Amino acid sequence: MHMDIAGSEEIEASQQQLWEGLNDPEVLTRCIPGCRKMTETAPDTYDVELELKVAAVGGSFNGAVALSDKTPPAHCRITVSGEGTLGTGTGTAEFTIVETGPGTCRLDYAGEGEIGGLVAGVGQRILKSVAKHLTKQFFKDLRKHFDDTRKDAGAT
Amino acid sequence: MTDPGRRFVSTNRRVREDRRFVAGAGRYVADLDIPGTLHVALVASTAPAAKILGIDTTEALAMEGVVDVLTGEELSAGVAPLMNGLDTPRVRRFPLTVGQIRYAGEWVAAVVATSRALAEDAAEKVRVRTEPLPFVIDAETALGPDAPPVHPEHGSNLLLDKTFDWGPVADDFAAAEDRLSLRVTWGRNATVPIETFGVIARWNPWDEMLDVWASIQMPKYADQIARALKLPGNAVRVHYDVDVGGSYGVKRGIKHTVLVSYLARKLGRPVRLIEDRLENMRAGDAQGPERIFDIDVAFDRDGTVRSMKMRALDNAGAYAGRAPFQLGKPIGAIVGPYRIGSVQYRAMSVTTNKAVQEAVRGFGQAPTNYAIETMMDRIAAHLGMDRLELRRRNLIRADEFPYTIPSGSTYDSGDYHTVIDKVLAHADYAALTAERDRLRAEGLCAGIGIAACLEPSGGNSSFEPLLNENNRTSTWMEGSRVIIDALGGVTVTIHTTSSGQGHETLAATVVGEELGIDPDRIRVTRPDSLSSLPGNSPVGSRMAIMLGGAAARAARDLKRQLVAIGAHAMGIDPSEASYEAGTITAPDGRAVGWDELVDIGHRRFHDLPPGTNPGLAASFIQQVPTGVALPEDGKVQMYPCYSFEFHLVLMAFDPVLAKPEIRRYVIGHDCGTVINPHIVRGMTLGGIAHGIGAALLEEFTYDDGGQLMTQSFLDYLMPSSHEVPSVEIVHHCTPSPLTEFGQKGSGESGYLGAPAAISGAVQDALSPWGVTVDKLPLRMSTISDTIADAETAA
Repeated sequence: MHMDIAGSEEIEASQQQLWEGLNDPEVLTRCIPGCRKMTETAPDTYDVELELKVAAVGGSFNGAVALSDKTPPAHCRITVSGEGTLGTGTGTAEFTIVETGPGTCRLDYAGEGEIGGLVAGVGQRILKSVAKHLTKQFFKDLRKHFDDTRKDAGAT
Repeated sequence: MTDPGRRFVSTNRRVREDRRFVAGAGRYVADLDIPGTLHVALVASTAPAAKILGIDTTEALAMEGVVDVLTGEELSAGVAPLMNGLDTPRVRRFPLTVGQIRYAGEWVAAVVATSRALAEDAAEKVRVRTEPLPFVIDAETALGPDAPPVHPEHGSNLLLDKTFDWGPVADDFAAAEDRLSLRVTWGRNATVPIETFGVIARWNPWDEMLDVWASIQMPKYADQIARALKLPGNAVRVHYDVDVGGSYGVKRGIKHTVLVSYLARKLGRPVRLIEDRLENMRAGDAQGPERIFDIDVAFDRDGTVRSMKMRALDNAGAYAGRAPFQLGKPIGAIVGPYRIGSVQYRAMSVTTNKAVQEAVRGFGQAPTNYAIETMMDRIAAHLGMDRLELRRRNLIRADEFPYTIPSGSTYDSGDYHTVIDKVLAHADYAALTAERDRLRAEGLCAGIGIAACLEPSGGNSSFEPLLNENNRTSTWMEGSRVIIDALGGVTVTIHTTSSGQGHETLAATVVGEELGIDPDRIRVTRPDSLSSLPGNSPVGSRMAIMLGGAAARAARDLKRQLVAIGAHAMGIDPSEASYEAGTITAPDGRAVGWDELVDIGHRRFHDLPPGTNPGLAASFIQQVPTGVALPEDGKVQMYPCYSFEFHLVLMAFDPVLAKPEIRRYVIGHDCGTVINPHIVRGMTLGGIAHGIGAALLEEFTYDDGGQLMTQSFLDYLMPSSHEVPSVEIVHHCTPSPLTEFGQKGSGESGYLGAPAAISGAVQDALSPWGVTVDKLPLRMSTISDTIADAETAA
């Protein structure tokens, strides 16, 4: 099942800070919903373990994430593939970070994916809203990360 | 309807099976409690096509309760490939796939554990490494030279391509005054029983016996198990005393059975597999025909249809199985109820990366009837003729039976014009038309649909040798045995499982009729397969004819024995004796009663007439009344009996919402002598509901990525009480000259014509816009989009 995903998010962080955050496995582990573990297997290549639960449906996924076409601190392509108890998924997305002011920037993203297995067959009706929900969760946690970083910086 | 000479046949008697079903006391395979049973869960593929690089079972095997994880590689080394009806030896199929995945959901591995829940948990931990392969979903694409072959060893996706020319097609086309072409498409639906498929196998190494209990409806089931497992035929014992919770064709879980049988032998424990709904929908291999019809038809301006060329392209799914034969069965009624002088028929079956197709009610006849009836409507529209008038002009007349059609089958009997007249009179056709016009004036879309269809019945398998010359089958017999025990009780046997057809009522009724004994006093039993007479299971709308015939003939033999015993006791010739309700009477009024006859038969050999065996038992194996020869010149006699049904439907819907509503549904039904009116009525009503599903709702839909989008009842839409209207049945009886009581089949009635009639009604409703609909199912969205597009264009 084919899926398109695209959007723009304003983040209170500089272009450089956001770039670094998005390239930091620790930050990503904290922000990717359900992410248990991210292991670097080669430069810009990671194995990830996810434990997802959405409404009544839950399951574990193992996947690989690769970053490519990097133009720091503005642009990067991310390729994801994974499989788990509920099905399989592959996808690619492009990220562009645009400075919008002092200490703020906008993240534009657009990508597409192919979903297979049970998630596709049974979850088709909720898949789009689930994807939206997970994306929202990711940016919520990412903003929280930058808020915490600022608070920590203010405290010291 | 009751024949004055008959006491039980055709009378208003209860269906004996209903008592236990209504009380919730049926005994289904999941109800069996066999100690020590292990449970199977399946690892399903997620991709529609992929090469299997490796299967890692380590984690699953280490989990609680897990006994074994079986892969296709191991299984295929121990069993023979599953039966393939066609001569395509390189299209091999095993219960678990070997090396390559051919459809999304296909079984890759089986996990065996002490409970189903533990097996399911462990199945999630089996890691399958795959490499994606190109795949094909659409039948026409699959035919293309660049299409990825589902079975690379076979070389292409074409399983079958056979063209038959019956009669002077070219001459008839040249001579005809007019012609037209059309294409219609039948969507992939099935029967989707509430009870999914289930099977338990137990191996006893000391007896060397495999015992099988299954929710099965399949010809030669025990033979197929023995062949696949390389066991002698008498080492497989199928227990037929298991109730089957619905089937109408699809309960043919041979792959499930071979899998659990292998595991039961390997592990030395009983093994059970009961599909859950998802397993059933995506990989139960129980989806029905999916067919594109391209038709050229030649006719005169007065409406006389002279010749038809039909190409049927069927999407078989990932393996051959027996499904391609569903292109063959309709050859027995390829002209429907019409006098069409010549026919060219091209049957094509292709593999695609979809689940495997299985038999569904009518075995291909419902799609073909839909194509023929849509063709008749199009001819009428083309000529500006009334649809009924066009049909009347072409229908075979009552005085023309027996009538041989171009493809070689002879229709036994019928009176189509009378059935139609009775339906039109019952429905008040003029008033129905006025009602349609009144609804239209109110701003609704309203249409009348009609369909005149045949149900070939008495199933033989003549299409097998017709489509596969290596197949030499010319009998499709059915046996039954009747005994009178030493206390005078009568017992009749059925040698198959039943899935709601009421065979126990059938057998008891015909034996009661022959012996003049209340059927409620007759016991009906189902011996296991090793204690059974040969048979071919309830397929092809055959059991009223075949089991009914076998049981009646066995009972008649027994009656002959009783008459001989009674006559001997009174010192008269058997021809002088008369039999009435178990008593033998001499012309002078002397009589020998039932108890005395039984006593002689069971205890007093010295009183038996010479040459008579003791014991009061009789068996009969019924051959199909016709269809006893192999095909010649592409022609063969198919099923013996031809039931007729005429559907008349009024539908209405809002032009924007397009939610179809059936305002009136009348069916005229002639299946010859009815053995039990309740069973025939139930079959017809259920068949119409099924047909409504096929016409408007049900479809196994695959998306462009090869994923099945209708895996649950949320997406695979079944007709409910909201969609199924009250149906009025108009009876007519034209007895068959070929059967014991004049009965014909009715197991497929309703389904064979309802989709054509409903499609016709929608078409009639859309006629003000001048658009055509030519693909089933006709979903609400399709109808409203069609209207919206037409309005935009105008």
